[in-house]
Amino acid sequence: MNKQSIQPEARNHSNADGKVVPKFIRRSIFALSIDDPQLEQKAYASWADAIILDFTKALGRDWQADLKNRMPAAICAAATGGAEIFIRINQDFSLAELDATVFTGISGVVLKSVKEPEDIVTVSQCLDALEVSRGIETGFLEIDVEVDKAGAVWHSLEIARASQRFGIFLINEHALSSDLGMQSEPELDFDPLEYIKSQLITVATSVGGQALGMSYPLSLTQENVSGDALETAVRRARDTGFKGAVCPHASWIKFCNEGFRPSTDEADYYVKVIEVFAEGLSRGMASVPLEGKMIDVPVDVRAKVYLNWADRAQARDQAKAQAHEKESS
Amino acid sequence: MVAQTNPRRSWMIAPAHNPAAVMGYKVIKPDVVVLDLEYTVPPKSKDEARSGLAPLIKDIGDSQSDVFVRVDRETRWADVRASIHRGINGIIFPGPDNPEEVSDLGDCITTMEHERGVEAGTTELVLMLESAKGFWSAATIAKASPRVTALGVGRIDLTMMLGPVPQDEFRLYRFLMTRALVAARMLGKQPLGAFWRPGSRGGVATKKETERAAREAQLLGFTGCLCVAPEQVDSANKGFAAA
Repeated sequence: MNKQSIQPEARNHSNADGKVVPKFIRRSIFALSIDDPQLEQKAYASWADAIILDFTKALGRDWQADLKNRMPAAICAAATGGAEIFIRINQDFSLAELDATVFTGISGVVLKSVKEPEDIVTVSQCLDALEVSRGIETGFLEIDVEVDKAGAVWHSLEIARASQRFGIFLINEHALSSDLGMQSEPELDFDPLEYIKSQLITVATSVGGQALGMSYPLSLTQENVSGDALETAVRRARDTGFKGAVCPHASWIKFCNEGFRPSTDEADYYVKVIEVFAEGLSRGMASVPLEGKMIDVPVDVRAKVYLNWADRAQARDQAKAQAHEKESS
Repeated sequence: MVAQTNPRRSWMIAPAHNPAAVMGYKVIKPDVVVLDLEYTVPPKSKDEARSGLAPLIKDIGDSQSDVFVRVDRETRWADVRASIHRGINGIIFPGPDNPEEVSDLGDCITTMEHERGVEAGTTELVLMLESAKGFWSAATIAKASPRVTALGVGRIDLTMMLGPVPQDEFRLYRFLMTRALVAARMLGKQPLGAFWRPGSRGGVATKKETERAAREAQLLGFTGCLCVAPEQVDSANKGFAAA
């Protein structure tokens, strides 16, 4: 059987113990301001899986009324390329900011400056009310946490468990390093955030969510590096357990979309694994060899999970392509 | 509540039973002189060390250096009672395992401050984490007393407990330092520790090794460390210079 013999839509992964990893296909997250006059063009051209909308509060005016007027159109504009839309909220002013920015069309909010689980509970309760008043399906809106404070790291498990709405930890390495008093220059020959990243990935996964971040030192420098360097960094981040990254430059998006998913070669190999193992099972075998490696149940399950991931990433790309076609027609 | 102070980079440990060694601080000029009642004092000299604390604390208290006393975990009650005199900045408590130990020690300090005429609440507590339980509960322990101003990574006891000294870098040390750092920063305490390497373990780190250990710790977010030898003070100050 070659790689063409199992088409994504025809693959049956029901034997993968119900594991769907990752929960979300959000390989590339791109932040844009609603004040940017080119918001729609930049969002459309980005091909990001998700866009975070930032906003500023108008001085000398009723900023809440101002935002309420502008936000629905900004959400529509940002979604033209097929990206999921999130609003970035500062935990310190969360209730007023939520009221001014939560409207139909967003998938959730990204909370920054979170320090303890109570922060999440408060926001979740506010979203309960806003979903009713704004005509959004109950429980639909997600709460993602931008990890930029030591408290969010220390209380990560309680934070992730604080609401069913929790979805993702987005590690803001630069801000977190600053809060921890770390130096911003990547002089060390190891990642000073290595254990924090491991903790956040594990905690997020334990509640069915996921973590987004980049590998060191790019995580600190946030440079607009060359394609090869970026490809290597993304691969290392994916192998660490991250399922995507917040992209400080539009140039990162393409590499994140391609890198935070199983590659074509990997997908081809998983197809072979599934086929060879199924054939072995039919002959009464518990394990079978493939290219010098032993294929047994856990390997088969992993292949199905990863193939499912590849298929869903492909489907996500197709959905974005359709959004672009629709917009351009 | 104890007032926060500027980062103290070098904490020079001096055996409290040896006044001549302690007086070396006048030349070395560490940010902090740590009058030790723990490892550097032989058991037979403990009483002598305790009884000699008052004049040493007064002398150092009148200088540019701050003065702390490192108590022995096993004899901490007697050590604290002997340590609280005018001029002292605080107590270093090695190896706390639970918050009750810290709050009880804080209460003991309160009693002694009252008895000795030391301004109430001014004696700080520095916690040196040395056990697996202590590292895991670091934040809870550090919140047990408002006197706590610093959280440190105590290396010797835990590394001995965890197994033989590795030949290369002690990788678990990064995790322990990270955990202490996160707790300290979350609570606004000074993080103390240096990125010591196995090469310097079991002996005294050289000046060069100390400066490197301090510099790497500073990159990690730490702002000061204990120095077991006077020769390390200058290196620690250099390594933490930008902190």
